[in-house]
Amino acid sequence: MEESEPAVKNKKRLKKTIIDCDIHNETPMNEVKEYLPRFYRDMVDSFGARNVSSIYLNGTPSGRLIEGESRPRSASPRTTKDIVNHYRSKLLDPFHLEYGILTASDYSTHTLPDIDFAAAIASAKNDYIAERWLAEDSRLKGSVFIPKQDPALSAKEINRVGSHPDVVQVIVSSGAEKPYGHRFYYPIYEACVKHNLPFTIHVSMEGLGMNPAPTGAGYVTYYAEYRAARPQVMAAHLASFIYEGVFERFPDLRVVLQESGVMWIAPALWKMDQDWKGLRHQTPWVKKPPSEYFRQNVRVTSQPLEIPPDRELFDKLLTSIHANECLLYCSDYPHWDFDSPAKAFPKLEDGLWERVFYQNAADLYGLPQRKG
Amino acid sequence: MTKGYVVGKVADIPAGSKKLVEAGGRTIGVFNVNGVFYALRNVCPHQGAELCKGLIKPYVVSSGPGHFEYEREGEIIRCPWHQWEFDIKSGCMIIDPATRTKSYEVTVETFGVSVEEGDIVVHV
Repeated sequence: MEESEPAVKNKKRLKKTIIDCDIHNETPMNEVKEYLPRFYRDMVDSFGARNVSSIYLNGTPSGRLIEGESRPRSASPRTTKDIVNHYRSKLLDPFHLEYGILTASDYSTHTLPDIDFAAAIASAKNDYIAERWLAEDSRLKGSVFIPKQDPALSAKEINRVGSHPDVVQVIVSSGAEKPYGHRFYYPIYEACVKHNLPFTIHVSMEGLGMNPAPTGAGYVTYYAEYRAARPQVMAAHLASFIYEGVFERFPDLRVVLQESGVMWIAPALWKMDQDWKGLRHQTPWVKKPPSEYFRQNVRVTSQPLEIPPDRELFDKLLTSIHANECLLYCSDYPHWDFDSPAKAFPKLEDGLWERVFYQNAADLYGLPQRKG
Repeated sequence: MTKGYVVGKVADIPAGSKKLVEAGGRTIGVFNVNGVFYALRNVCPHQGAELCKGLIKPYVVSSGPGHFEYEREGEIIRCPWHQWEFDIKSGCMIIDPATRTKSYEVTVETFGVSVEEGDIVVHV
Protein backbone atom coordinates (compact mmCIF):
# COMPACT_ATOMS: atom_id res chain seq x y z
CA MET A 1 0.00 0.00 0.00
CA GLU A 2 2.70 2.47 0.99
CA GLU A 3 4.69 1.48 -2.04
CA SER A 4 2.00 2.22 -4.63
CA GLU A 5 1.03 5.63 -3.28
CA PRO A 6 3.88 7.71 -4.76
CA ALA A 7 3.29 6.11 -8.14
CA VAL A 8 -0.30 7.27 -8.12
CA LYS A 9 0.74 10.82 -7.27
CA ASN A 10 3.33 10.82 -10.00
CA LYS A 11 0.76 9.71 -12.52
CA LYS A 12 -1.25 12.81 -11.73
CA ARG A 13 1.75 15.11 -12.00
CA LEU A 14 3.32 13.54 -15.10
CA LYS A 15 0.81 13.66 -17.90
CA LYS A 16 3.42 12.83 -20.50
CA THR A 17 6.33 10.42 -20.64
CA ILE A 18 9.83 11.73 -19.98
CA ILE A 19 13.49 11.04 -20.73
CA ASP A 20 15.74 10.45 -17.71
CA CYS A 21 19.38 11.21 -18.59
CA ASP A 22 21.20 9.67 -15.63
CA ILE A 23 20.28 6.21 -14.40
CA HIS A 24 22.99 4.25 -12.65
CA ASN A 25 22.60 0.67 -13.66
CA GLU A 26 24.61 -1.78 -11.62
CA THR A 27 27.50 -3.52 -13.29
CA PRO A 28 28.30 -6.43 -10.97
CA MET A 29 31.85 -7.62 -11.53
CA ASN A 30 30.86 -11.28 -11.26
CA GLU A 31 28.89 -10.82 -14.49
CA VAL A 32 31.09 -8.22 -16.20
CA LYS A 33 34.15 -10.41 -15.86
CA GLU A 34 32.56 -13.02 -18.10
CA TYR A 35 33.24 -10.55 -20.91
CA LEU A 36 36.93 -10.09 -20.06
CA PRO A 37 39.73 -11.84 -21.92
CA ARG A 38 41.03 -14.80 -19.96
CA PHE A 39 44.16 -13.09 -18.67
CA TYR A 40 42.28 -10.20 -17.11
CA ARG A 41 39.52 -12.49 -15.83
CA ASP A 42 42.18 -14.53 -14.04
CA MET A 43 43.70 -11.33 -12.72
CA VAL A 44 40.38 -10.15 -11.29
CA ASP A 45 39.76 -13.59 -9.75
CA SER A 46 43.19 -13.61 -8.15
CA PHE A 47 43.69 -10.00 -7.14
CA GLY A 48 40.27 -8.33 -7.28
CA ALA A 49 39.07 -5.66 -9.65
CA ARG A 50 41.33 -2.91 -8.25
CA ASN A 51 38.31 -0.80 -7.36
CA VAL A 52 39.40 2.48 -5.87
CA SER A 53 37.47 2.99 -2.64
CA SER A 54 35.90 6.33 -2.01
CA ILE A 55 37.79 8.49 0.45
CA TYR A 56 34.63 10.36 1.44
CA LEU A 57 31.41 9.20 3.02
CA ASN A 58 28.30 9.14 0.88
CA GLY A 59 24.70 10.07 1.65
CA THR A 60 23.87 6.51 2.67
CA PRO A 61 26.17 3.58 3.44
CA SER A 62 26.02 2.40 -0.17
CA GLY A 63 25.31 5.78 -1.75
CA ARG A 64 21.97 4.33 -2.78
CA LEU A 65 18.38 4.82 -1.78
CA ILE A 66 17.60 2.50 1.11
CA GLU A 67 17.79 -1.19 0.32
CA GLY A 68 14.56 -2.35 -1.26
CA GLU A 69 14.15 0.95 -3.08
CA SER A 70 17.36 0.62 -5.06
CA ARG A 71 17.79 -3.14 -5.16
CA PRO A 72 15.58 -6.18 -5.16
CA ARG A 73 15.24 -7.19 -1.54
CA SER A 74 15.15 -10.95 -1.70
CA ALA A 75 16.86 -12.19 -4.82
CA SER A 76 20.12 -13.75 -3.84
CA PRO A 77 22.35 -14.05 -5.69
CA ARG A 78 20.94 -11.16 -7.71
CA THR A 79 21.23 -11.48 -11.45
CA THR A 80 21.10 -8.57 -13.85
CA LYS A 81 17.66 -9.77 -14.95
CA ASP A 82 16.39 -9.32 -11.38
CA ILE A 83 17.92 -5.88 -11.22
CA VAL A 84 16.45 -4.78 -14.55
CA ASN A 85 13.02 -5.89 -13.37
CA HIS A 86 13.51 -3.94 -10.19
CA TYR A 87 14.41 -0.79 -12.15
CA ARG A 88 11.29 -1.30 -14.25
CA SER A 89 9.04 -1.47 -11.23
CA LYS A 90 10.70 1.33 -9.25
CA LEU A 91 11.67 3.80 -11.97
CA LEU A 92 10.76 3.14 -15.59
CA ASP A 93 7.09 2.28 -15.08
CA PRO A 94 6.01 4.51 -12.17
CA PHE A 95 7.82 7.58 -13.49
CA HIS A 96 6.67 7.10 -17.09
CA LEU A 97 10.05 6.92 -18.76
CA GLU A 98 9.91 6.95 -22.53
CA TYR A 99 13.68 6.52 -22.49
CA GLY A 100 16.34 6.24 -19.82
CA ILE A 101 20.03 6.85 -20.36
CA LEU A 102 22.14 4.34 -18.44
CA THR A 103 25.31 5.75 -16.94
CA ALA A 104 26.38 2.56 -15.13
CA SER A 105 28.27 2.40 -11.86
CA ASP A 106 31.85 2.44 -10.69
CA TYR A 107 34.12 4.65 -12.76
CA SER A 108 37.18 3.61 -10.81
CA THR A 109 39.11 2.19 -13.75
CA HIS A 110 39.42 5.81 -14.89
CA THR A 111 41.87 6.32 -12.05
CA LEU A 112 44.20 3.41 -12.76
CA PRO A 113 47.66 3.73 -14.28
CA ASP A 114 47.26 0.28 -15.89
CA ILE A 115 45.66 1.51 -19.10
CA ASP A 116 45.33 -1.87 -20.80
CA PHE A 117 43.44 -3.22 -17.82
CA ALA A 118 41.22 -0.11 -17.85
CA ALA A 119 40.59 -0.69 -21.56
CA ALA A 120 39.72 -4.35 -21.00
CA ILE A 121 37.26 -3.48 -18.24
CA ALA A 122 35.70 -0.75 -20.38
CA SER A 123 35.17 -3.17 -23.27
CA ALA A 124 33.79 -5.86 -20.98
CA LYS A 125 31.38 -3.38 -19.39
CA ASN A 126 30.19 -2.14 -22.77
CA ASP A 127 29.49 -5.68 -23.95
CA TYR A 128 27.83 -6.63 -20.66
CA ILE A 129 25.59 -3.54 -20.72
CA ALA A 130 24.59 -4.09 -24.36
CA GLU A 131 23.60 -7.72 -23.76
CA ARG A 132 22.17 -7.66 -20.26
CA TRP A 133 20.57 -4.22 -20.07
CA LEU A 134 20.00 -2.62 -23.48
CA ALA A 135 18.67 -5.83 -24.99
CA GLU A 136 16.29 -6.30 -22.05
CA ASP A 137 14.20 -3.16 -22.44
CA SER A 138 13.92 -0.92 -25.49
CA ARG A 139 13.51 2.13 -23.25
CA LEU A 140 17.09 1.82 -22.06
CA LYS A 141 19.95 3.55 -23.88
CA GLY A 142 23.62 3.09 -23.10
CA SER A 143 26.87 5.00 -22.55
CA VAL A 144 30.24 3.92 -23.93
CA PHE A 145 32.90 3.40 -21.27
CA ILE A 146 36.42 4.28 -22.36
CA PRO A 147 39.91 4.09 -20.86
CA LYS A 148 40.12 7.87 -21.00
CA GLN A 149 43.70 7.87 -19.73
CA ASP A 150 44.65 6.78 -23.26
CA PRO A 151 42.78 8.66 -26.01
CA ALA A 152 43.95 6.33 -28.80
CA LEU A 153 42.61 3.25 -27.01
CA SER A 154 39.49 5.21 -26.13
CA ALA A 155 38.88 6.04 -29.79
CA LYS A 156 39.37 2.38 -30.65
CA GLU A 157 36.66 1.40 -28.16
CA ILE A 158 34.28 4.10 -29.42
CA ASN A 159 34.82 2.84 -32.96
CA ARG A 160 34.20 -0.73 -31.82
CA VAL A 161 30.86 -0.15 -30.09
CA GLY A 162 29.80 3.37 -31.09
CA SER A 163 27.48 2.33 -33.87
CA HIS A 164 25.38 0.04 -31.64
CA PRO A 165 21.86 1.39 -32.17
CA ASP A 166 21.13 1.67 -28.44
CA VAL A 167 24.36 3.42 -27.51
CA VAL A 168 23.82 7.18 -27.28
CA GLN A 169 26.88 8.76 -25.65
CA VAL A 170 30.44 8.35 -24.40
CA ILE A 171 30.91 8.80 -20.67
CA VAL A 172 33.84 9.72 -18.42
CA SER A 173 34.22 10.86 -14.81
CA SER A 174 35.15 14.44 -13.94
CA GLY A 175 38.38 13.58 -12.10
CA ALA A 176 41.06 13.95 -14.78
CA GLU A 177 44.78 14.24 -15.36
CA LYS A 178 44.21 17.16 -17.70
CA PRO A 179 41.16 19.37 -18.27
CA TYR A 180 39.01 17.83 -20.99
CA GLY A 181 39.50 20.61 -23.52
CA HIS A 182 43.17 19.67 -23.84
CA ARG A 183 44.28 18.52 -27.29
CA PHE A 184 45.51 15.30 -25.67
CA TYR A 185 41.87 14.16 -25.88
CA TYR A 186 41.28 15.01 -29.55
CA PRO A 187 41.18 11.35 -30.72
CA ILE A 188 38.23 10.81 -28.38
CA TYR A 189 36.35 13.78 -29.82
CA GLU A 190 37.08 12.72 -33.40
CA ALA A 191 35.50 9.35 -32.60
CA CYS A 192 32.56 10.97 -30.79
CA VAL A 193 31.80 13.17 -33.78
CA LYS A 194 32.25 10.28 -36.21
CA HIS A 195 29.63 8.24 -34.35
CA ASN A 196 27.48 11.23 -33.46
CA LEU A 197 27.86 10.55 -29.73
CA PRO A 198 27.87 13.30 -27.09
CA PHE A 199 30.76 13.29 -24.61
CA THR A 200 29.35 13.23 -21.09
CA ILE A 201 31.36 14.19 -18.01
CA HIS A 202 29.80 12.69 -14.90
CA VAL A 203 31.00 13.80 -11.48
CA SER A 204 33.30 11.43 -9.56
CA MET A 205 36.84 10.14 -9.15
CA GLU A 206 38.33 13.55 -8.30
CA GLY A 207 41.30 13.01 -6.01
CA LEU A 208 41.33 9.25 -6.47
CA GLY A 209 43.99 6.98 -7.93
CA MET A 210 46.18 8.86 -10.36
CA ASN A 211 43.88 11.88 -10.51
CA PRO A 212 44.98 15.13 -8.86
CA ALA A 213 43.39 16.52 -5.67
CA PRO A 214 39.65 17.19 -5.83
CA THR A 215 40.18 20.96 -5.60
CA GLY A 216 42.98 23.35 -6.50
CA ALA A 217 43.25 24.05 -2.76
CA GLY A 218 43.94 20.40 -2.04
CA TYR A 219 41.92 17.69 -0.38
CA VAL A 220 38.73 18.73 1.35
CA THR A 221 37.71 16.81 4.47
CA TYR A 222 34.01 15.98 4.42
CA TYR A 223 31.56 14.55 1.93
CA ALA A 224 29.35 17.66 1.93
CA GLU A 225 32.48 19.75 1.43
CA TYR A 226 33.46 17.60 -1.55
CA ARG A 227 29.98 18.05 -3.04
CA ALA A 228 30.29 21.81 -2.56
CA ALA A 229 33.60 21.74 -4.43
CA ARG A 230 32.39 19.73 -7.44
CA PRO A 231 31.53 22.76 -9.58
CA GLN A 232 35.18 23.88 -9.47
CA VAL A 233 36.32 20.86 -11.40
CA MET A 234 33.43 20.97 -13.85
CA ALA A 235 33.93 24.71 -14.36
CA ALA A 236 37.56 24.01 -15.25
CA HIS A 237 36.46 21.44 -17.84
CA LEU A 238 33.88 23.82 -19.31
CA ALA A 239 36.37 26.69 -19.60
CA SER A 240 38.93 24.28 -21.03
CA PHE A 241 36.63 23.21 -23.87
CA ILE A 242 35.93 26.84 -24.73
CA TYR A 243 39.39 28.38 -24.47
CA GLU A 244 41.24 25.45 -26.04
CA GLY A 245 39.02 25.97 -29.07
CA VAL A 246 37.58 22.44 -29.05
CA PHE A 247 34.23 23.62 -30.37
CA GLU A 248 35.90 25.47 -33.25
CA ARG A 249 37.81 22.33 -34.17
CA PHE A 250 34.87 19.98 -33.56
CA PRO A 251 31.79 22.13 -34.15
CA ASP A 252 29.50 19.10 -34.04
CA LEU A 253 30.79 17.85 -30.68
CA ARG A 254 28.26 17.96 -27.85
CA VAL A 255 29.41 17.88 -24.24
CA VAL A 256 27.15 17.06 -21.29
CA LEU A 257 27.97 18.22 -17.76
CA GLN A 258 26.50 15.82 -15.24
CA GLU A 259 25.89 16.07 -11.50
CA SER A 260 28.24 18.88 -10.57
CA GLY A 261 25.51 21.46 -10.10
CA VAL A 262 23.51 23.59 -12.49
CA MET A 263 23.04 27.15 -11.35
CA TRP A 264 26.79 27.97 -11.05
CA ILE A 265 26.85 27.95 -14.82
CA ALA A 266 25.02 31.31 -14.97
CA PRO A 267 27.76 33.46 -13.38
CA ALA A 268 30.44 31.29 -15.01
CA LEU A 269 29.06 32.27 -18.44
CA TRP A 270 28.74 35.92 -17.44
CA LYS A 271 32.35 35.93 -16.29
CA MET A 272 33.69 34.24 -19.41
CA ASP A 273 31.76 36.58 -21.69
CA GLN A 274 33.03 39.58 -19.77
CA ASP A 275 36.64 38.36 -19.86
CA TRP A 276 36.41 37.59 -23.56
CA LYS A 277 35.91 41.29 -24.29
CA GLY A 278 39.39 42.14 -23.05
CA LEU A 279 41.26 38.85 -23.48
CA ARG A 280 39.95 37.70 -26.85
CA HIS A 281 43.23 38.51 -28.55
CA GLN A 282 45.13 36.02 -26.37
CA THR A 283 42.99 33.11 -27.65
CA PRO A 284 41.80 34.44 -31.00
CA TRP A 285 40.50 31.00 -32.00
CA VAL A 286 37.67 31.64 -29.56
CA LYS A 287 35.61 33.44 -32.14
CA LYS A 288 32.32 33.86 -30.28
CA PRO A 289 31.37 34.91 -26.75
CA PRO A 290 31.85 31.80 -24.57
CA SER A 291 28.14 31.64 -23.75
CA GLU A 292 27.46 31.10 -27.45
CA TYR A 293 29.59 27.96 -27.43
CA PHE A 294 27.74 26.82 -24.31
CA ARG A 295 24.38 27.19 -26.04
CA GLN A 296 25.56 25.49 -29.17
CA ASN A 297 27.73 22.68 -27.82
CA VAL A 298 27.10 22.06 -24.13
CA ARG A 299 24.21 20.53 -22.23
CA VAL A 300 23.73 20.11 -18.48
CA THR A 301 21.66 17.57 -16.59
CA SER A 302 19.51 18.71 -13.70
CA GLN A 303 20.15 16.49 -10.69
CA PRO A 304 20.91 17.44 -7.92
CA LEU A 305 18.99 20.60 -8.73
CA GLU A 306 19.68 23.63 -6.56
CA ILE A 307 16.55 25.53 -5.58
CA PRO A 308 17.23 29.25 -5.05
CA PRO A 309 15.40 30.92 -2.15
CA ASP A 310 12.76 32.56 -4.29
CA ARG A 311 10.89 31.56 -7.39
CA GLU A 312 11.79 34.67 -9.35
CA LEU A 313 15.51 33.93 -8.92
CA PHE A 314 14.96 30.34 -9.96
CA ASP A 315 13.32 31.41 -13.21
CA LYS A 316 15.98 34.02 -13.95
CA LEU A 317 18.78 31.52 -13.38
CA LEU A 318 17.07 28.98 -15.64
CA THR A 319 16.94 31.65 -18.32
CA SER A 320 20.58 32.52 -17.70
CA ILE A 321 21.73 28.94 -18.24
CA HIS A 322 19.61 28.73 -21.40
CA ALA A 323 17.54 25.94 -19.84
CA ASN A 324 15.17 26.03 -22.76
CA GLU A 325 17.93 24.63 -24.97
CA CYS A 326 20.53 23.26 -22.59
CA LEU A 327 18.94 21.69 -19.49
CA LEU A 328 18.03 18.00 -19.39
CA TYR A 329 16.12 16.32 -16.59
CA CYS A 330 17.73 13.37 -14.83
CA SER A 331 16.94 11.39 -11.69
CA ASP A 332 20.29 9.83 -10.73
CA TYR A 333 18.33 6.73 -9.70
CA PRO A 334 19.07 4.75 -7.55
CA HIS A 335 21.35 7.09 -5.65
CA TRP A 336 20.34 8.58 -2.32
CA ASP A 337 19.98 12.13 -3.68
CA PHE A 338 17.55 11.02 -6.41
CA ASP A 339 15.43 13.82 -7.96
CA SER A 340 11.84 12.80 -8.57
CA PRO A 341 10.57 13.99 -11.96
CA ALA A 342 7.30 14.94 -10.30
CA LYS A 343 8.69 16.83 -7.33
CA ALA A 344 12.24 18.07 -7.82
CA PHE A 345 11.30 21.08 -9.96
CA PRO A 346 8.82 23.77 -9.07
CA LYS A 347 6.02 23.84 -11.64
CA LEU A 348 7.38 24.88 -15.04
CA GLU A 349 5.31 26.37 -17.82
CA ASP A 350 4.38 23.67 -20.34
CA GLY A 351 6.77 24.66 -23.10
CA LEU A 352 9.81 24.74 -20.84
CA TRP A 353 8.75 21.53 -19.09
CA GLU A 354 8.57 19.80 -22.44
CA ARG A 355 12.06 20.99 -23.39
CA VAL A 356 13.65 19.99 -20.07
CA PHE A 357 11.86 16.67 -19.56
CA TYR A 358 11.86 15.46 -23.14
CA GLN A 359 12.81 17.46 -26.19
CA ASN A 360 16.28 18.70 -25.26
CA ALA A 361 17.34 15.12 -24.55
CA ALA A 362 15.56 13.79 -27.65
CA ASP A 363 17.42 16.35 -29.79
CA LEU A 364 20.76 15.61 -28.15
CA TYR A 365 20.55 11.84 -28.31
CA GLY A 366 18.59 11.55 -31.54
CA LEU A 367 15.66 9.84 -29.81
CA PRO A 368 12.26 9.72 -31.48
CA GLN A 369 9.06 11.40 -30.38
CA ARG A 370 6.81 9.64 -27.89
CA LYS A 371 5.13 6.53 -29.18
CA GLY A 372 1.88 7.02 -27.29
CA MET B 1 28.20 72.76 -36.31
CA THR B 2 31.78 71.60 -36.04
CA LYS B 3 34.77 73.79 -35.47
CA GLY B 4 38.28 73.03 -36.71
CA TYR B 5 41.16 72.99 -34.22
CA VAL B 6 44.77 72.94 -35.37
CA VAL B 7 46.41 70.38 -33.12
CA GLY B 8 49.89 70.03 -34.62
CA LYS B 9 52.00 69.43 -37.70
CA VAL B 10 51.93 66.25 -39.75
CA ALA B 11 55.56 65.66 -38.84
CA ASP B 12 54.60 65.56 -35.12
CA ILE B 13 52.63 62.32 -35.50
CA PRO B 14 54.50 59.81 -37.68
CA ALA B 15 52.70 56.76 -39.07
CA GLY B 16 51.95 54.25 -36.28
CA SER B 17 51.99 56.86 -33.52
CA LYS B 18 49.47 59.03 -31.74
CA LYS B 19 49.23 62.28 -29.85
CA LEU B 20 46.86 63.43 -27.14
CA VAL B 21 45.58 66.95 -27.78
CA GLU B 22 43.08 69.39 -26.30
CA ALA B 23 40.36 70.61 -28.64
CA GLY B 24 36.96 72.09 -27.94
CA GLY B 25 37.38 71.55 -24.23
CA ARG B 26 38.02 67.81 -24.44
CA THR B 27 41.00 65.51 -24.72
CA ILE B 28 41.29 63.79 -28.06
CA GLY B 29 43.69 61.16 -29.33
CA VAL B 30 44.98 61.79 -32.85
CA PHE B 31 46.31 58.69 -34.62
CA ASN B 32 48.33 58.29 -37.79
CA VAL B 33 47.36 54.97 -39.36
CA ASN B 34 49.53 54.40 -42.44
CA GLY B 35 49.53 58.11 -43.32
CA VAL B 36 45.86 58.74 -42.64
CA PHE B 37 44.79 60.63 -39.53
CA TYR B 38 41.95 59.67 -37.19
CA ALA B 39 40.77 61.19 -33.94
CA LEU B 40 38.96 59.61 -30.99
CA ARG B 41 37.62 61.03 -27.78
CA ASN B 42 39.95 59.98 -24.97
CA VAL B 43 37.20 58.28 -22.98
CA CYS B 44 36.45 54.58 -22.97
CA PRO B 45 32.69 53.90 -23.08
CA HIS B 46 33.20 51.01 -20.66
CA GLN B 47 34.45 52.58 -17.43
CA GLY B 48 35.79 55.94 -18.51
CA ALA B 49 39.51 55.19 -18.78
CA GLU B 50 41.72 57.31 -21.01
CA LEU B 51 41.21 55.08 -24.00
CA CYS B 52 43.79 56.69 -26.27
CA LYS B 53 46.62 55.97 -23.81
CA GLY B 54 46.27 52.27 -24.58
CA LEU B 55 48.43 50.12 -26.82
CA ILE B 56 48.08 50.32 -30.61
CA LYS B 57 47.89 46.76 -31.92
CA PRO B 58 46.92 44.72 -34.93
CA TYR B 59 43.75 42.64 -34.87
CA VAL B 60 44.80 39.12 -33.91
CA VAL B 61 42.91 36.32 -35.62
CA SER B 62 43.43 32.58 -35.76
CA SER B 63 42.81 29.54 -37.89
CA GLY B 64 42.92 27.29 -34.82
CA PRO B 65 44.48 26.75 -31.42
CA GLY B 66 48.13 27.81 -31.32
CA HIS B 67 47.89 29.81 -34.57
CA PHE B 68 48.05 33.59 -34.56
CA GLU B 69 47.68 35.85 -37.59
CA TYR B 70 47.80 39.62 -37.65
CA GLU B 71 45.34 41.76 -39.58
CA ARG B 72 44.60 45.48 -39.67
CA GLU B 73 48.09 46.48 -38.48
CA GLY B 74 48.00 49.59 -36.32
CA GLU B 75 44.21 49.96 -36.53
CA ILE B 76 43.26 48.75 -33.07
CA ILE B 77 43.56 50.59 -29.78
CA ARG B 78 43.32 48.50 -26.62
CA CYS B 79 41.95 50.40 -23.65
CA PRO B 80 44.61 50.67 -20.93
CA TRP B 81 42.25 49.41 -18.21
CA HIS B 82 40.44 46.27 -19.45
CA GLN B 83 42.05 45.72 -22.84
CA TRP B 84 38.83 46.07 -24.76
CA GLU B 85 39.69 46.57 -28.44
CA PHE B 86 38.44 49.54 -30.44
CA ASP B 87 38.69 50.36 -34.12
CA ILE B 88 40.76 53.56 -34.38
CA LYS B 89 39.01 54.41 -37.65
CA SER B 90 35.49 54.38 -36.24
CA GLY B 91 35.70 54.37 -32.44
CA CYS B 92 33.66 51.17 -32.38
CA MET B 93 34.44 48.25 -30.10
CA ILE B 94 35.56 45.41 -32.33
CA ILE B 95 33.31 42.65 -30.97
CA ASP B 96 30.38 44.93 -30.21
CA PRO B 97 30.28 47.92 -32.55
CA ALA B 98 27.35 49.46 -30.67
CA THR B 99 29.83 50.19 -27.89
CA ARG B 100 31.78 53.14 -29.21
CA THR B 101 33.63 56.28 -28.36
CA LYS B 102 33.19 59.49 -30.31
CA SER B 103 35.32 59.82 -33.44
CA TYR B 104 36.11 63.10 -35.15
CA GLU B 105 36.93 64.10 -38.68
CA VAL B 106 40.58 65.03 -39.25
CA THR B 107 41.92 67.02 -42.20
CA VAL B 108 45.41 68.16 -43.18
CA GLU B 109 45.83 71.76 -44.38
CA THR B 110 48.86 72.05 -46.65
CA PHE B 111 48.37 75.43 -48.34
CA GLY B 112 51.76 76.56 -49.50
CA VAL B 113 53.75 74.11 -47.39
CA SER B 114 55.00 70.53 -47.71
CA VAL B 115 52.84 67.77 -46.29
CA GLU B 116 55.17 67.41 -43.30
CA GLU B 117 54.69 71.06 -42.51
CA GLY B 118 50.91 70.84 -42.97
CA ASP B 119 48.52 71.47 -40.08
CA ILE B 120 46.47 68.64 -38.63
CA VAL B 121 42.96 69.93 -38.04
CA VAL B 122 40.47 68.09 -35.85
CA HIS B 123 36.83 68.98 -36.43
CA VAL B 124 34.96 68.91 -33.14
